[in-house]
Amino acid sequence: MLKNKPSKDMIQKLKVSIPMLALALACGCAAKGDYTGLEYAPQMYHSVPYEPLTQIKDEEAGKWLSNREDEKGEFYNSNPNNPYAQNVRKPVEGTVRRNPNDMLPYRLEKDDITAAAAIENPFPASEEIIAEGRRLYTQFCQHCHGASGKGDGKAGVAYAGVPSYTAPAQRNLSQGHIFHVITHGIRRMGAHGSQISEDKRWKIARYVQTLQQQ
Amino acid sequence: MVARKTIVRYATACLLVCCFVFSGQQSFAQRDAVPTDEAIIAEGEKLFNEYQCNSCHNVVGKKVGPALAGVYDRRDLDWIYSWVKNSQAMIAAGDPQATALWNEYKPSAMTPYDLENDQILAIMAYVRNVEENPPADKNTVTGGGEEGPAGGSGVPESYLNIIVAALIVVLVLILIVLAIIIGVLKKYLQDKENISEEDKEIVNEKFSLVAFVKSPTVIGIVTFLVIALAAKNVIDGLYTIGVQQGYAPKQPIAFSHKLHAGEYEIACQYCHTGVEIGKSANIPSVNICMNCHSSIKTDSPEIQKLYAAQESGEPIEWVRIHNLPDLAYFNHSQHVKVGGVECQTCHGEIQEMEVVKQHAPLTMGWCIDCHRNTSLNTQGNGYYDRLVELHNQNSATPMNVADIGGLECAKCHY
Repeated sequence: MLKNKPSKDMIQKLKVSIPMLALALACGCAAKGDYTGLEYAPQMYHSVPYEPLTQIKDEEAGKWLSNREDEKGEFYNSNPNNPYAQNVRKPVEGTVRRNPNDMLPYRLEKDDITAAAAIENPFPASEEIIAEGRRLYTQFCQHCHGASGKGDGKAGVAYAGVPSYTAPAQRNLSQGHIFHVITHGIRRMGAHGSQISEDKRWKIARYVQTLQQQ
Repeated sequence: MVARKTIVRYATACLLVCCFVFSGQQSFAQRDAVPTDEAIIAEGEKLFNEYQCNSCHNVVGKKVGPALAGVYDRRDLDWIYSWVKNSQAMIAAGDPQATALWNEYKPSAMTPYDLENDQILAIMAYVRNVEENPPADKNTVTGGGEEGPAGGSGVPESYLNIIVAALIVVLVLILIVLAIIIGVLKKYLQDKENISEEDKEIVNEKFSLVAFVKSPTVIGIVTFLVIALAAKNVIDGLYTIGVQQGYAPKQPIAFSHKLHAGEYEIACQYCHTGVEIGKSANIPSVNICMNCHSSIKTDSPEIQKLYAAQESGEPIEWVRIHNLPDLAYFNHSQHVKVGGVECQTCHGEIQEMEVVKQHAPLTMGWCIDCHRNTSLNTQGNGYYDRLVELHNQNSATPMNVADIGGLECAKCHY
């Protein structure tokens, strides 16, 4: 009788603590804030090859389940041979990205704007090209230059000093000039060559032309 | 010989006097040289708006360029004419005032304008008019504008609070009244003589909380509720294992999508340049931030982090939010460019998120659900013509992603 008493107490305690434990566990699984949440089969979730946009430099991360040959943690994903151990690298200097339109790389420097202004747009002012240019314009230009090119986009008003395409000084700028300005920027406008590929810049220039003429 | 010397002396004196007089005129009479004629002012206002001077200049206060008020006191009119026509040429020629301006405001250069002298003078006239007769109605207009929406938004909050408080007071009063009534009735019944024993018991019955709690019905209900809730919680919790929905890590820079994509309406593709051409949407590099932040909010400590990164070349280590398991393949261009799916379909109302969190569960069931329910837009794509024809022979529903292999295992797992 006396011997049994503590075990009864234990059972009573277990009765209470098991659902509590389960509750605590269950609540602790969900992702929130900085916590990614509990993972099922983490070895299948984490990439073994270098993942360009995932950078885990901590060699201890996931060590508890690691069976890697280099004895690092299972989640470690960094390339120590790159600057800052990054998984991404800049393209090699002087290399050219191939593009579907077989365009040659644009070599004019920022100051060569007079020479650039004489270059013709390789795309015709067809309806399709202008429609595509319009689509790209809404993605890359509209927030500053405005839907109708008056310089009245939401960001443009905050930035101040965005000229209208129809202003006398801008109205007659050539296609080559527009292309060059998108590529290298001008005055307070930044260079957008890294964001927008060459063919897309020419298509945008075609649409801007329609805005100049409105 | 003497005569010659005198002439030279006279001439020099005259020249000196002239210089003095003219310089005096320049520093005093410049403002008066600007016309105040109403027709000219109207013409100037028209030009000011047409040439969008206000995108860079305020009449009072610095903007991208200097304030225009009093420019006719600071500078020679001829200087203003040639500056407006071609400022860069003046800087190149080494004009001291022009160089000083350039040094203060570069890299913002003033665009050359194809204006006549009298047109520039008309703009000056407009500026002078605004400076000397500041529009009085401007303040009242903005004041009215601020009051407008506040007044028009229905019942003010303070009234609501008062109404709620009044209701609570009324309820408390009713409770007090009820308690009093019960008390009075009890007393009346207790005092009454001709009442049966049974009824007396009911009158004198005391409510016992302990007995109520210990009654089997209450224990049964409470136990059932606890077990049911616990079970629901456990099952819900088990479903979140391996699902990172709601993950919202702190980023190295407190970037707000609500401000950039919401308030300023910058398209997603402006920064996430890979979204139409590759697997990843990509995180923008510092040079894209600098397209605006080279001159916007330059004093903010968060923006200073950008400058530090640009200077040192050290990458900003943003924390990846959407960690699709390595066992599944996903391609952005395939969905956004080919499928025409909106960013918000999977990422939620990003333009309203101060801190971005994972909106969708990114589970297989979630992917499959969309593949089953999304019909294809095959319009104008000859590749699908025959396929659609064959599909329509056997099915009454429009062709969707699942019909062209959207449920094949090897589409995503290989």
